[in-house]
Parts: sequence; structure tokens; C-alpha cells
Amino acid sequence: MVMTQPAGRHAGHTARNPGGPASRDRAGAAPRRPTVYEPTASGLPALRAYLRDLWERRPLIWHLARTDLKAQNYETTLGQAWVVLDPLLMAAVYYLFRSVVSTESTASARNEILSHLIWGVFVFYYTSNCVLGGARSLTSGRALILNSSFPRAALPLYEIVKSAMNFLPTLAVYLVLHAVLGRPFGFGLVALPVMVAIQTALNVGLALLFAPLMVFFRDVRGLLPYITRVWLYTSPALYSVAELPPRYASWLRWNPLYPFFAAYEQVFAGRLPSIGYVVAACMWALLFLVVGALVFLTKERDFAIRI
Amino acid sequence: MTATASPATRPEPKDLAIALDKVWVTFKTTRERKKPSLARTLQGMRDPAKRSVWVEALRGVTLDIQRGSVYGVIGHNGAGKTTLFRAIAGILPPSHGRITVWGRVTPLLSLGVGFNRDLTGRENILLGGLTFGLSADEVQAHFHEVEAFAGLGQAIDFPMRTYSSGMFSRLAFSVAAHLQPEILLVDEALAAGDAAFKVKSMDKIVELCSRDCTVLIVSHGLEVVKSLADRCVWLEQGRVRMEAPADQVVTEFLTRQRVDRSNVVALEDV
Repeated sequence: MVMTQPAGRHAGHTARNPGGPASRDRAGAAPRRPTVYEPTASGLPALRAYLRDLWERRPLIWHLARTDLKAQNYETTLGQAWVVLDPLLMAAVYYLFRSVVSTESTASARNEILSHLIWGVFVFYYTSNCVLGGARSLTSGRALILNSSFPRAALPLYEIVKSAMNFLPTLAVYLVLHAVLGRPFGFGLVALPVMVAIQTALNVGLALLFAPLMVFFRDVRGLLPYITRVWLYTSPALYSVAELPPRYASWLRWNPLYPFFAAYEQVFAGRLPSIGYVVAACMWALLFLVVGALVFLTKERDFAIRI
Repeated sequence: MTATASPATRPEPKDLAIALDKVWVTFKTTRERKKPSLARTLQGMRDPAKRSVWVEALRGVTLDIQRGSVYGVIGHNGAGKTTLFRAIAGILPPSHGRITVWGRVTPLLSLGVGFNRDLTGRENILLGGLTFGLSADEVQAHFHEVEAFAGLGQAIDFPMRTYSSGMFSRLAFSVAAHLQPEILLVDEALAAGDAAFKVKSMDKIVELCSRDCTVLIVSHGLEVVKSLADRCVWLEQGRVRMEAPADQVVTEFLTRQRVDRSNVVALEDV
């Protein structure tokens, strides 16, 4: 982006004659730090200033999420109940499917499958909603991007907040169903918030990565539903880790969501998650956070132009 | 957006609100109206000339804008007026040069910034204030002023999709003007309201200036610029054609228009 043409002619620049209201006395005015906009050599903005800016914008992030949540099921009869009802019905559909394919003999085996399906769908929906919402966040926030200045990461982040606000009630509903289905409550459940936190970090990274992708390749919109569908089937969400097809198991373990589902499975069985799964989950989350943030921040200045 | 605080290099910074130093805003844009897609990017790799064109929206603009003044920006469509505002607001980064801004910029570019049409006017006042970078408490403190000035009555509690464009712009202007702007950028926002509201908002702009706020207005309404603005810049094809007291610039602009009009038949309305 190097332009070397000489600056255009400009007239009257030296004549500084502030007439009228501009010539008032300003002795009492407090000095303020100016904001400077300049082309930067590297694509990255000053990270510390950026994060502080973003932190100051949390009321905006929160308000955008809240108003969207309020509006999302505004016109349906069941209203906010759909937040839980939608993934629950999805789990019911998958359970129906599994029952047709193979019938389990004992009631406890059936309950185990059903509870696994329910939390599997809930947990998967949390990540896939973040990816879909994050991917759409910039293109649907077009008016905001073109007309106001704020750290653009606020847009994918508010989709994260929205998805989390949709996910947490489903988690509460699951724990009730967990009890109803007679599944074990063990000490391992204390690790549940930890796993949710690591998954949230992964989701932030994914949202930051997919948001600019969508701006530069609109095809992503059409592809994403298929990508997430394949991702659902290749993750141990609708089946347990033990049921992983042996032929592909060594490959499927490289799925970033694999350690998450494996750890959740242990937690919901009442056990503490294996340290290996937790470390693997942390590594995936960190990787996507770093890559997502790098891609997002280097491309951020182009959003207003390309969108 | 790169916002780094650094010492100003220009003299008398305390009297300035905005300083532009040889600012170029150039960007690549696709020639076609279609959105970028994978297929088109791959095509573009084979034939770079087909892919995109460089748009030079601002070409070396240097301006100093005094604090507490009303500053007019005039020029034909595509002269770079909105790009200038977006660059000052930090929305479009300069590709060359430097923009220094003293104070918080409240851009009122296209009407109703971050408004969500499904929410009520009341909820949108908060949303608008937050997009301008205020805290929720600051918005609440001025809530009644915004509401009173917009004068929407009962409609403030209706969803904004039921609003007319005039009502929309009234609320947008009220939010921008009442939430302690330091530098207010008004882009044709006065065009949509009715006559009474126009007068009211012009009075408000004068009042804001008396409170040390700097107001920049883009307008095709030359009389508005002439009566409100202290100084004015005339942009032509991304360059400063003239920068002087507002009445001189408007007079010169009109004179040139008459000269051009004799040559060109189809001319946009002034």
C-alpha cells in the first residue's frame, strides 16, 4: 500500500484565522492526550492498548448480546424456552435414530446413551454456535463497522457471550435430567466449570478465526453448516469414546473437540477428567486463540474496506 | 485500528481538535459489485488486473481544525467527504500521512449507527451511547435530554422498525448531540428531519460549540454550511481545492458551479 505521489495542492492552510466562537478563551481546558492514526509497519496493532480498549468496551459487548438474546425468540409462543427446547429436541431425534439402529437391552444402558446424547448435543452446540455466530458477526455488523470506531473483536466476542448465555441454561437443565435418568453424581463434577472455561477459550479462538474468513471468502457461509455437521459426527458427541470406530480412532483423536468430549464424558460419569485430556484441551484452546487472534488483528484494518 | 498516543508535532496543539498531515486513504476494491468469494480470488490470482482497482479516496489532505468551531466540508459526490470523516473517526486507516485527534470523536455518519430495528427507541438510546464509547451510567445521566430533544412522545417505546426515516434521524441526532460529544461528525444528518427539527438541531450545534465541542458537517445544503460553519473545506477528487472562511468557500464553489454548468448539461443539484 505504498503511494509515492506528491501531496495534492491545498490552499489556505497557513491562514489560521479562527473567527467567531473559535476565538473564545480556553485557559481552563484540561490538556488531553491526542489519538494518532498512522499507517503501521506490521499489521498488528499495539496489543496492550488494544486489549485495554476492548476491556473498556465490555458494556457494549454485554448490551449487544443482551438485546440479541431478548430479540431472538421474541415472536415465538414458547419464547426463551426454545433456548433449551431446540438442542433437547435435537438430542431426542438422535436418540430415536440410535434406537432404530440398535436397541439396548437394559434401562440403565438406555439412560446412559440418552444422557450422553443430551450433553453431547448441548456441548457441541456451544462450540458450533460460537463458530457460526463468530463467522457472521462481522458481515452482520456491517453498519456498526462502517459508522463507528471500536475494537472489532467486540463483535465476535459478543457472539461468544450470546452463545454462552444460551449454553449455561441448557447445562442446568441437563444436570436435572442427569438426576432424573439416574446417572451418577460424583466428585468429578467439580471439574465441569473448568472444562466449560477451556471450551470457552477454544470458542473465542475459533470465532476470531472464522470472522475474518467470512469477510474475505463469502463461500464460508454456505460451507459452514456442512463443516459443523461433519464435525459433529466425527466427535464423540453422539456416541461414547469407547464406541469410536477402531479403524479411524487414531485419526479422530486429532479432532480438537476430542479431548473435550472425552473429558466431559468422565466428568458426567462422576470421575475427575484425565490430566492428558485436560492438557490436550488446553493446548487446542491456546493454539486456536493465538492463531485466531493473529489472523483477526492483522486483518482488522481491512474490514471497513472489504465488508 | 491503530490508536497510539504520541506527542504532537504540530504547533499550538491545544487549540486544535483535528490535524491531518498529508493524509492519503487508498484502498483496493473489487471492480465488480459482487462479494469476494473463493472462486473469484482464485481467478484473481491468475489475472491480477481483473481482481481489483485502487481507489484513491483522499490524496494528501492537510487540514487543521480549530477546537470549538463548526467546520464545513463540501464537494461533489465521491469527492472524499465521507472518507474524510471515516478516517477522522478511526474507521478507515490512513495509508499515508498522519491524523491526530484531540478528544473523543462521535461520528453520526449514516443515520442511526448501531441501532437495532427490533428494539425500542429507548433501548436504542443506550445502544447508541455505548457504540459512541460512553458508559451505561453516562448514557442514563443524559437519557431524558435525549428523549426530550428527539420529541418522539409515545413512539420512544415502540420498536424502531415502526419509525419513519425522519423519526430515525431525530433520535440518531439527539443521541449523538446530547451524550457529551467532544468532536461531532455530522454527515447529512440534518437532511432527513422536518423544518422545525432542522432549526432545532442547528441551534443545538451552535450551543455545542459554545461548550468547546468541535462540529464537522458535511452537507450539500450550502446555506446550512454558510450560516453554521466558521471555516470550510472544498474537497475535489480527494484533494483540498480550497480551505477558507465558510462564506468565501461557498461563494467560490457556487461561482465554479456556474462556470461548469455552461459546459456540462447534466449536473447534480447543488
